[in-house]
Amino acid sequence: MNIIRTSAGASPVSITLSLALLAGLYLFPRFVQSPYALHIMILIFLSVIMGEAWNVIGGYTGQYSVGHAAYFGAGAYTTMILLQYKQINPWYGALVGIAVALVVSLIIGSICFRLRGPYFVLASIAVAEIMRLCAMNLKDLTNGAEGILITEIPPLKFGETVITDFLTKVPFYYIGLTIAIVTILVTWWMQNSKLGYYFQAIREDQDAAHSLGISLSLFKSTALAISAVFTSLAGSFYAIYIGFIDPPTVLALDISVQIVLICIIGGIGTIWGPVVGSLVLVPLSEALRSNLIAQGIFKMGLASEESGVGIFLKEHLSHAHALIYGILVVVVILFMPDGVLGWAKKLAAKKGKG
Amino acid sequence: MTPILEIKHVSKFFGGLAANSDVSFSMDEGMIMGLIGPNGAGKTTLFNCITGYYPPSKGDVLFKGQRLNGLQPDRVCRLGMVRTWQKVRPLTKLSVVDNVMVGALCRTNSLKVARELAMEQLKVVRMDHKADFIAGGLPIGERKKLEVARALATQPTLLLLDEVMGGLNPAESDEIIQLILDIKKAGTITQMVIEHDMKAIMRISDRIVVLNSGEKLAEGTPAEIVSNPEVVRAYLGDFHA
Repeated sequence: MNIIRTSAGASPVSITLSLALLAGLYLFPRFVQSPYALHIMILIFLSVIMGEAWNVIGGYTGQYSVGHAAYFGAGAYTTMILLQYKQINPWYGALVGIAVALVVSLIIGSICFRLRGPYFVLASIAVAEIMRLCAMNLKDLTNGAEGILITEIPPLKFGETVITDFLTKVPFYYIGLTIAIVTILVTWWMQNSKLGYYFQAIREDQDAAHSLGISLSLFKSTALAISAVFTSLAGSFYAIYIGFIDPPTVLALDISVQIVLICIIGGIGTIWGPVVGSLVLVPLSEALRSNLIAQGIFKMGLASEESGVGIFLKEHLSHAHALIYGILVVVVILFMPDGVLGWAKKLAAKKGKG
Repeated sequence: MTPILEIKHVSKFFGGLAANSDVSFSMDEGMIMGLIGPNGAGKTTLFNCITGYYPPSKGDVLFKGQRLNGLQPDRVCRLGMVRTWQKVRPLTKLSVVDNVMVGALCRTNSLKVARELAMEQLKVVRMDHKADFIAGGLPIGERKKLEVARALATQPTLLLLDEVMGGLNPAESDEIIQLILDIKKAGTITQMVIEHDMKAIMRISDRIVVLNSGEKLAEGTPAEIVSNPEVVRAYLGDFHA
């Protein structure tokens, strides 16, 4: 049947579950001290922020920007440059980064939104590449290909009280978690407001939307601006957390594609899609990179570590992580066109029927 | 009384091709204007010129005395003129009521008010029982009605219907005809209707404009139009005229 429930009324069960999950996430660092586990969680939060941000323009408004590295890089570079030359605390630098990303989004929007479909995609890639080349060549400002490295982060202060001094990963965990939750809440608010309706109308049919009193330029720019703000915040957060940026790590096409994949894998145009996508992609890419899979194969006794196959796996599997990652992405796109979330929902619906 | 819509010497060129050339007519409030003509006569192009999708190459479009040339379709809609599409354009992944709400949100910022307005319009086209269905799954007859409901939800004073009966079976066509007459009876909305079904257009129109090869061929009451030899020639060829 084609019936769907439109009113997104939250049931008591789902509210309780979300609150429990939230409490669990906030208590997590108390029980797990492993820096590696915290690192993975922080990467997941970062990925959720980027995914939810792209979802606003790509998922809801249907404008497939493959140039989101532009905003990610704008946030990262603004923060780092201000810290390096003006010693401005990066947490304020991040706010300036948002302003810069907003301006960039308005400029990019005014150019690219004249185009539709694949032409918009190409234009968005082109603009991000221009930004990357600028960062490479404006050496006085960005250090060019050398990148910017910071060794210590000024403590976050409220008045004179030091809130945290960033000596461990724990403060990053909480900041990442909080920003991720804020992006999810903003997406939820947007979906249940006039903006959400207008964005989706533009996604479904631009001309029809235009005829119903929706200003395409205004609402596409608004969607891109919201998206740019959070992507830039993610960029700043990444820069502060890692402490080093250069054009290939924050402005490259890889970043843009990665951001899009989070949504495609999870499920485009849904609140939880980017979360699911992040939960799949981040651990997967980490596992592939760190040779966990080869070790798993040895542990399960599928191949011995000393055998020819074992040596081959140990030596080459981690190098092939991009290949395996790519194959998995293709498989998901082929067999789960609505993403993992859409696939799970369909499965649940089938079970409910049978 | 100023006419609600005045079209003055409107021409639209695509390169060297004149899709409309020097078309003029005007519409009074509350009437139903029929717009007919053979395929390729420029009816839809004229709709696009009136509603802001194309700026006319020459001439003026005046809505309640205000010149519209160059205004974007969304502004035109906010002024109170809305069109439907010959090739229906449902927002396929949204539900029926959400589709109509998008129209209603033109006049309100509250989703609650928009939902009430949308349900009202769905009752008008007798589709309220399908409110929660996904628009993409509707058959063509209901898509056409959804198109009308969504346009009505923007609370227009002038409604332009582009072949709402195209592709419908006789029962469905009758329903749409009744709907158009009901809208007229309610009295607040003026309508312009493009239609190929001659029986239907003769029944509902107060006046008819005939386009042929982009030019206005004739204008008059339905009775005048059917007896106009020029019109007969355009449709049926010289032999019948």
